[in-house]
Amino acid sequence: MLRTYLLFGLIILNSCVEKQDFDQFDEISLQPELEASVLYVTAPEALINLAPAANFYAQDFNFDAFNEDYFAERVIEGSITYLVENTTSKELEVSVQFLDDTDTVLDTEIFTVPAAPTPILEREIAYGNGGRSIEIIRNTSSIRVIASNLGDSTSISDLPEPMITLRSSGRFRLLVR
Amino acid sequence: MKKFLFSISVLFGICVHVSGQNKQLLYDFNEIPQSLMVNPGVVTDFDWYSGVPLLSGLSFQAGSSGISVNDIFADDGIDVNVKIRERAILGMSPSDELSGTYQVELLNFGFRGANPSVFYSLGLYHEGDAIGYWFKDYAILAVEGNADKLNQRFDLGHLRTRGEMLNVFHFGVNKKVNSQLTIGGRAKVYSSILDFNSTGNSGYFVTTEGQNNIFASTINANMELRTSGAASLSNAQDDGNLASTFLKRGLFGGNLGVGVDLGFSYNFNEQTILTASVLDLGFIYHTDNVRSYTLNGSATVEGVEIILPDALADPNRDFWQDLVDEIETFVPFERNSESYISFRPTKLNASLRYNFGKQLPTRVDCDCKTAFRSGGFPPRYTNGIGGQLYMINRPRGPQMALSAFYLRRLGNAMAIKTTYTVDKFSYTNVGLGLNLQAGPVNLYVLADNLLAYRNLADSRYASLQFGLNIISWGRN
Repeated sequence: MLRTYLLFGLIILNSCVEKQDFDQFDEISLQPELEASVLYVTAPEALINLAPAANFYAQDFNFDAFNEDYFAERVIEGSITYLVENTTSKELEVSVQFLDDTDTVLDTEIFTVPAAPTPILEREIAYGNGGRSIEIIRNTSSIRVIASNLGDSTSISDLPEPMITLRSSGRFRLLVR
Repeated sequence: MKKFLFSISVLFGICVHVSGQNKQLLYDFNEIPQSLMVNPGVVTDFDWYSGVPLLSGLSFQAGSSGISVNDIFADDGIDVNVKIRERAILGMSPSDELSGTYQVELLNFGFRGANPSVFYSLGLYHEGDAIGYWFKDYAILAVEGNADKLNQRFDLGHLRTRGEMLNVFHFGVNKKVNSQLTIGGRAKVYSSILDFNSTGNSGYFVTTEGQNNIFASTINANMELRTSGAASLSNAQDDGNLASTFLKRGLFGGNLGVGVDLGFSYNFNEQTILTASVLDLGFIYHTDNVRSYTLNGSATVEGVEIILPDALADPNRDFWQDLVDEIETFVPFERNSESYISFRPTKLNASLRYNFGKQLPTRVDCDCKTAFRSGGFPPRYTNGIGGQLYMINRPRGPQMALSAFYLRRLGNAMAIKTTYTVDKFSYTNVGLGLNLQAGPVNLYVLADNLLAYRNLADSRYASLQFGLNIISWGRN
């Protein structure tokens, strides 16, 4: 009986724990990289021709995706990719501005695209980590889009459904931990 | 005797009964009264027994089928983030689980009735149980995000969890039908303190190439989280009366349910015994303090879309808010207080044992309980060998464990049982149980997964049980 007691005792009491380094917990890093579309703007050439002025569209609109607390407090770097496609018969300019909550312009990106046929203009703007200040993203609460016609207002492209289209997506890394 | 009992009680402070859901060492170890709790139809020869009131049980068990503490925190010089990615994020599957159970036995005693072929047992224990499956796709999203994962569906069904805290009032009857068959049943009343479950989720989140814009983000969700008691306990904590609320809910002041345990032992002959039991065949009906949350629907977004000339119709239109409203319309997050039923995690045990070696003298007082003796008990042998099956109903379907065991009795004073168990936690689970009988005092120690004690941090499952009872065979 004594030997059985001792056997149990030895098993339980002599159990071992290999050296663990729980300080590694502090080194755990969570930095997911999120990707989604941001802004899509399109205007047909017929509308551009009807506009009384060269500046055929100018609008500010609310955009709270970037300054939502969870995102703004954690975003550390990222980029916005723009694809601008012009199938109209005229040279066009599209300006995208990021504004803060006092309507101060934080960032401006201007796209000038020649008349069709012209390749899709692709541009990636980096923020943080060597790019433009990530504070631009954190403080953006609205976006201003200004589209201007740099050509005539009578011609019509031979391409089907001629239009100017701006597509964009954001890709941002968050420091969750 | 009283001084002796007091000394023992003080010595142990608390009678700890640590057990996993699978109690393969305790099952059919009928020297131990608590074996009635895992098979109400176990063969018993006690006249009466009693656990030490309020001190008769504290248990804790935790198991992780996919990863151990050592896998992440070993001092091995490997970057912890690499270990997390390779061993947890990519190394574990959605069927891997982290589960835990604890039990605090408040009262447990049993006695033989006027009809000595019937043995009654009753008591009260507090239990907590929780299980969570590895939410793999949520973890990938949280750690890596969705960038560069075009067309990869993140399965929202990976979130499956349930848990509860409750008090169980039980009353069991064990009846020796004849010399071959013993049957038993235990009625249970559950007093639920807290319950949560989110087990039927489905849906996905995916990023695809957009129709208009560069990407389309789609969520298709059919998700639900049901809780009862959580709000009450949370409010009680804020109000500083958590203990009284906890106690009240555990004493029929929360949600109630009923259940039953059933079991039998059948002797094919003097040496071969078949046993089986089904435990916690029951449910709890949650009507009080229910808070449930649902997320149902489907939506696809491609960012803010300004399509001219339509957008000119309302220059003040808030495109962002429209987008948010659209998502909330198509995938509404809703709350309700609708009653629901939760089923208890039903367990099934079965064993086949072959006894051999010398026969042991009976422990039953031969001067009384004539009728009790007349049916005769199967003789007790010094050795027993056999196999056991265990199954439990879990949110992802039944889980099973198989055990082989060897039981050795050293007179009436000591018995040893060793098991080898294969389940999803381990293929090297060797357990050892020791039961000691010193006069009326019964002490048992059951330790599971002993090989893991070489490095506890590397263990994915551990269970230790010990307990203290006073037992009488009618001559104490």
